[in-house]
Amino acid sequence: MALLKVEGLTKYFGGLRAVHGLSFEVRSGEILGLIGPNGAGKTTAFNLIAGFIRPTGGQVLLEGENIVGMKPYAVTRKGIARTFQIVKPFRKLTVLENVTLAAFMRFPSRGDAEAEARRILERMGLGAKSLALATDLTLSEQKRLEIARALATGPKLLLLDEPMSGLNATEIEQASLLVREICKEGVTIIWVEHVLKAIMNSSNRVVVINQGEKIADASPGEVVENPEVIAAYLGTKRA
Amino acid sequence: METFIQSMVSGLLTGSLYSMIGVGLTVIFGVMRIINMAHGDMVMLGMYGAFLSVAFLKIDPFVSILVWFPIAFLLGAFIYRFLLKKIVPGGELNTLLYTAGLSLFIANLVLFVGTGDYRTIKLKYAIMPLRPFGIAVPIPLAIAFGMAILITIVLYWFLVRTDTGRAIRATSQEPEAASLMGVNVDRTAIVTFALGTALAAGAGVLLAPSLYLYPTVGEILVAKCFVIVVLGGLGSVPGAIAGGLLLGVVESLGAVYVSVPYKDAIGFVMFLLVLLFRPSGLFGVGKS
Amino acid sequence: MRKMVVPLAILLLLAAPWIVSDPFFVHLMIMVLMWTVLGASWNILGGFTGQVSFGHATFLGAGAYTTMILYLKLGIAPWYGIPIGGLAAALIALPIGVICFRLRGPYFALSTLAVAEIVRLVALNWESLTNGPVGLLITTLPDVTFRGWMIDWENKTPFYYIIAVLALGAIAATYKMSRTRLGAYLLAIREDIDSAEAIGINTVQARVAALALSAFFAGVAGGFYAMYFRYIDPDAVFSIALSVEMVFIAVVGGLTTIVGPLIGAVVLVTFGETFRQILLVGHLILYGIAMMLAIRYMPEGIWGKLRLWLGTRY
Repeated sequence: MALLKVEGLTKYFGGLRAVHGLSFEVRSGEILGLIGPNGAGKTTAFNLIAGFIRPTGGQVLLEGENIVGMKPYAVTRKGIARTFQIVKPFRKLTVLENVTLAAFMRFPSRGDAEAEARRILERMGLGAKSLALATDLTLSEQKRLEIARALATGPKLLLLDEPMSGLNATEIEQASLLVREICKEGVTIIWVEHVLKAIMNSSNRVVVINQGEKIADASPGEVVENPEVIAAYLGTKRA
Repeated sequence: METFIQSMVSGLLTGSLYSMIGVGLTVIFGVMRIINMAHGDMVMLGMYGAFLSVAFLKIDPFVSILVWFPIAFLLGAFIYRFLLKKIVPGGELNTLLYTAGLSLFIANLVLFVGTGDYRTIKLKYAIMPLRPFGIAVPIPLAIAFGMAILITIVLYWFLVRTDTGRAIRATSQEPEAASLMGVNVDRTAIVTFALGTALAAGAGVLLAPSLYLYPTVGEILVAKCFVIVVLGGLGSVPGAIAGGLLLGVVESLGAVYVSVPYKDAIGFVMFLLVLLFRPSGLFGVGKS
Repeated sequence: MRKMVVPLAILLLLAAPWIVSDPFFVHLMIMVLMWTVLGASWNILGGFTGQVSFGHATFLGAGAYTTMILYLKLGIAPWYGIPIGGLAAALIALPIGVICFRLRGPYFALSTLAVAEIVRLVALNWESLTNGPVGLLITTLPDVTFRGWMIDWENKTPFYYIIAVLALGAIAATYKMSRTRLGAYLLAIREDIDSAEAIGINTVQARVAALALSAFFAGVAGGFYAMYFRYIDPDAVFSIALSVEMVFIAVVGGLTTIVGPLIGAVVLVTFGETFRQILLVGHLILYGIAMMLAIRYMPEGIWGKLRLWLGTRY
């Protein structure tokens, strides 16, 4: 059974069709890349899965259970964590407090939650910055904090929304490595990304969305050759 | 039926003044996202201005608006430039709290300088109401209504036909885009706040002969203002006009058909419902 | 040395009416302590949770009327009525929270204002319950002895001790709450509500809990108000002015701090009441000025700034 199954997911904002009939699966232990041109509906799909928006139609099945209609916190408690495209750390709190808050979900006592938070921060290379205020971190560090916070909820599935945006080449390399390592530790990942090289190198499978619909669902190598995908990104050649 | 029409007419008359107050508030919010808790106190200042004109200068209040409108405009400009401008970058809630402080200050200053006695203005020509078609229309309210309409028409012309007016509307919709197009956002902000204040004070002058004056009247008025502005859609001038008229009519009908004391409550209940279910206003044109 | 501060302060608090027994000063101290409770109440919601309410008088009034009505109609003594008043306030906070928390920021603030006004108007008109604008009056407080001494209600000292205990309770509760998981969650909600949801925090539940706790203390203070002033009417206890004063005490004192409300009350109430004694009206001018100065120059509040100097985090 697939870990996550999206079936016929549809969302209309008034007359605007953001996502239409979107269906795909994610198997446990995979890294699934979600790509598509700007405005294709990728972040909307994430918001739909994570419960921040209610779909107009369709289902989202987590281990067979339909989670449509659940509030975001409930979805997180079921095992889906997400990061935001534009990072949203708790700015005036420390790095440690940020992650401890997320750990509280599974460890109600402050002592345990903090210990778990420290463990994750070490893992993410932010141990030295535990007492720094979130707002004082560099962008790359803030992105790692965002991921650390999501991981502290002990998710089965992690949704990464453009984790590479704003990073330089070295940082992108490090981030790709990090994503692969997180997956090896047992977290399934769906990530949205524009930095195609990174996503193609690190994903098991890629789903391509254009104008709210899926136009491809295959291995990175196959997707890159797919004419529809090329057309979506580059436009069609004029005859 | 006659009661209904009488009620509607009263409601529309008062509503026109609510509209004037509401337009001032909505334009301030639209352009600068300032929730001005002191707006009601500006109305109160206008009311006292009218009172002073009658009591000490023997000038008819409706004439005195010619003086008070520009004075209020300058006061508004002063308040924005020297007080509010530095607060706005701190966020909407900070501005809300600051204007709440300003409101308390102004209301209590007036209380301190004058007294808390309820005052009224008695006009010699206002004893008997007019009776067109058998509907009682108090003269001061009729004059106020007329002037409010006039001011609204002038305002409309200003917003649509002049450069400053268009700048206000543009900034109200998209401040960044407006500044990229060469609109002097800073100057627009000052003019908007000054204008909003003048409209509020002007409405106060016009309302003075029809209401009781006391220093804290601003409190209840500002609450009503927000009802109007939210009903009509925050930032929308036509919305505020419609909202003001609607509130006036609902209160008036409420007083007749539900009960007098609960009429104020009706407005607030409507307010909550709109905030919850149609945050962009009844007409869906405001920012939510 | 540090450890001595709190016990010393409590000792001072309890000894105060013996040190200074002038009735005006005792009244002043009572007012400071009452407003400490109100400020602490607002601070729980407005400071820790970041939800600015302009309608907290609703809960004060609910507590006041509950205590009054229980005493006048059912003969239940105010010392039982006060905590019941607090519970009543906490109870009405639940539906109010569920409705108003669907809104954010300034819209939430305005909705609380609307609710407060609706409640005031209902209280004004539901004469069979509240006596309407005429209000409710306590002529005599019950005869009671405390450790063999008959309490003299004409003296202000018994009232002082009651409010002192309530104020200590409010501050202690704020402190305890800040150490719990809920307290941490509230700070997260204050910072970024979407992120809070994303890490598994049921933000509606958390906010409603904060509101209920906040309302409880406002209600308790309201019950005390009824007992001390012995007369209440809707315009006195449900007024926007009271709601606004609560905000000011908390903000000027220092949001999200434990001791802030006390400092805010000490500063504002002392100056205000003294002003009122001398000049009779307009003491709220000071509140207005203080608020404007605070937001402009010291948004973290007097204590917010002071505690940095003193190196303490309470």
